[in-house]
Amino acid sequence: MDSVFDELYQKYHHDVFQFLFYMVRNKEHAEDLVQEVYIRVFKSYNRFEGKSSEKTWLFSIARNVAIDFFRKQKGWKERIFEKFDWSSNQVKDDYPIPEEITVQKEEIKWIYKCLEFCTMDQRAVIILRYLNDLSISETAKTLGWTESKVKTTQHRSLKVLKKHMELFYEKEGLTSEKVRVER
Amino acid sequence: MRKSEWSDKQLEELIRQMPKIQDHRDPRDIYQNLSIKKRKLIPWILPGIATAAAMLLFLILVPNLMDRTNNSFNEAQEKKSLEQTTAKKDAGIAMDKEEATSKEGVNSGTKEVKLLRTESVKSAIYDDEVGNGKVLTYWIPDQQAQILIPVSTIVSDAGNKSWLTVFEEKMASLKEEEWGLSDFYPLNAKLELDKNNNSVIVDVPSNHLYGQGSTNETSFINVLQKDIASNSNLRKIKFKTNGEPGIELGNYGSMQEQNIESDQKKHAFLFYYPVGSKLPYLTPTNTIYKDFGTALEAMKADQPENGLKSSLSPSLQIYDVTISDKTLSLSLKDDSTLKDNQLTLYSFEALMLTAKEFGVEKIIVKNSPLTHIGPFDLSKENKVPIAPNLRNIQ
Repeated sequence: MDSVFDELYQKYHHDVFQFLFYMVRNKEHAEDLVQEVYIRVFKSYNRFEGKSSEKTWLFSIARNVAIDFFRKQKGWKERIFEKFDWSSNQVKDDYPIPEEITVQKEEIKWIYKCLEFCTMDQRAVIILRYLNDLSISETAKTLGWTESKVKTTQHRSLKVLKKHMELFYEKEGLTSEKVRVER
Repeated sequence: MRKSEWSDKQLEELIRQMPKIQDHRDPRDIYQNLSIKKRKLIPWILPGIATAAAMLLFLILVPNLMDRTNNSFNEAQEKKSLEQTTAKKDAGIAMDKEEATSKEGVNSGTKEVKLLRTESVKSAIYDDEVGNGKVLTYWIPDQQAQILIPVSTIVSDAGNKSWLTVFEEKMASLKEEEWGLSDFYPLNAKLELDKNNNSVIVDVPSNHLYGQGSTNETSFINVLQKDIASNSNLRKIKFKTNGEPGIELGNYGSMQEQNIESDQKKHAFLFYYPVGSKLPYLTPTNTIYKDFGTALEAMKADQPENGLKSSLSPSLQIYDVTISDKTLSLSLKDDSTLKDNQLTLYSFEALMLTAKEFGVEKIIVKNSPLTHIGPFDLSKENKVPIAPNLRNIQ
């Protein structure tokens, strides 16, 4: 087996897979996409200059792969239509909640559902920051943004999550007493 | 007031608690799939090759197909022209007859009157027509190559050349196919007179085709024999191939020379109708008859195996025949319903030609209900023809 592949697999495979899964919210698609990530990596590996870390480079590729995947999901008609429809400028999916999530407690399920209401960028920031444990600067490098943009996006996405979590709470209620905490 | 609120910290905690999703596939499988995908990067190569091959085949086949259509077009054209020539044959023969008529007209004024009256035209060549010319007889196979038909012509510009030279010269002018016969002349051979040995030397090129097939070689030998026998008194053919003595023929094997039997006459003359023609050729049978009587009997019946038809019309009923002093005396039956028409004329000529085979030189007809048959005055004795089936060639 290729030594480069071996090394990348050992170090980052699960992180990248994790990222792709929460981005596309479907395991099979995530499997295909991680494959695609490797192909792109091999194509451009000799162009990798070491300016950024391997990790951020790999994640930025994964993100591009995910974006391309969503673009492919939509037909050209929808894409044209989307240009005129500013209100729904975000990607949504209808895949069932995977098994790993359903066995978790109620709040986790809600969070997972709420992530759907975030935009691509917001979701990417949330996943990179909290699930993949990247620092603000690492996230900024991965997305090619400034750190302040990462911070504001992170803030906004948490706000979206909070709003929808409350909606869920109102709709379904919590059997257990929810501790109120001041902000 | 909302029932519950989440701080950012709590939310972050919740997100961090989200389960780690694992890729359960073996890294080897992933790597394997990678290489398969890599190969799939050029999926157009196979269809590309197939397309190129198809184009190549197309380019090779199309010109052939074009050719074939052209060929069939040509064939159709040829067929058409062939039909036209067959259609012309009749006309051509009729034309020949007309020429002959006009020639006779020039020769003697009295005959012209008779011709106008009867409109019947004799087919053979007679003494008074030859003048200073030479009579040449060519034996030409019929279309089925079953029988040889003598066709004669008068050559007036022969000069001092030998008969063989003139014979060779005029070979190319024969219009066998136009006459409803099969193309045989000019012979693919040089003819040479060998006076010392009383023979004709026939020199064929080494690539001659006369040895191919029994019909071919039998026709060749028979034609040569008959050509020489009817135009000269020579008694032998010597064969040469490209200057070397001998000729190779499939069935005969190697031949040096061939004798010409002079006594092989005594044939009966019957009618041969070429396809599409109403006028027959007077054609000798292959069979030899012992006397004139049996030959006369043979003339009354068809010989379908050679494509020959009876040459004695039923109305020409012969009562008695006697030959004395080279003169044939015919007596016709009293009640014969003889008519002076073209067919009767041909029958009479066939009778004369057959008689000539048995050494007769003159014919006298008795008890005839007619005074004339065509140009022949039956009250007088008539000379037998010199040669049958006159055709004019240039």
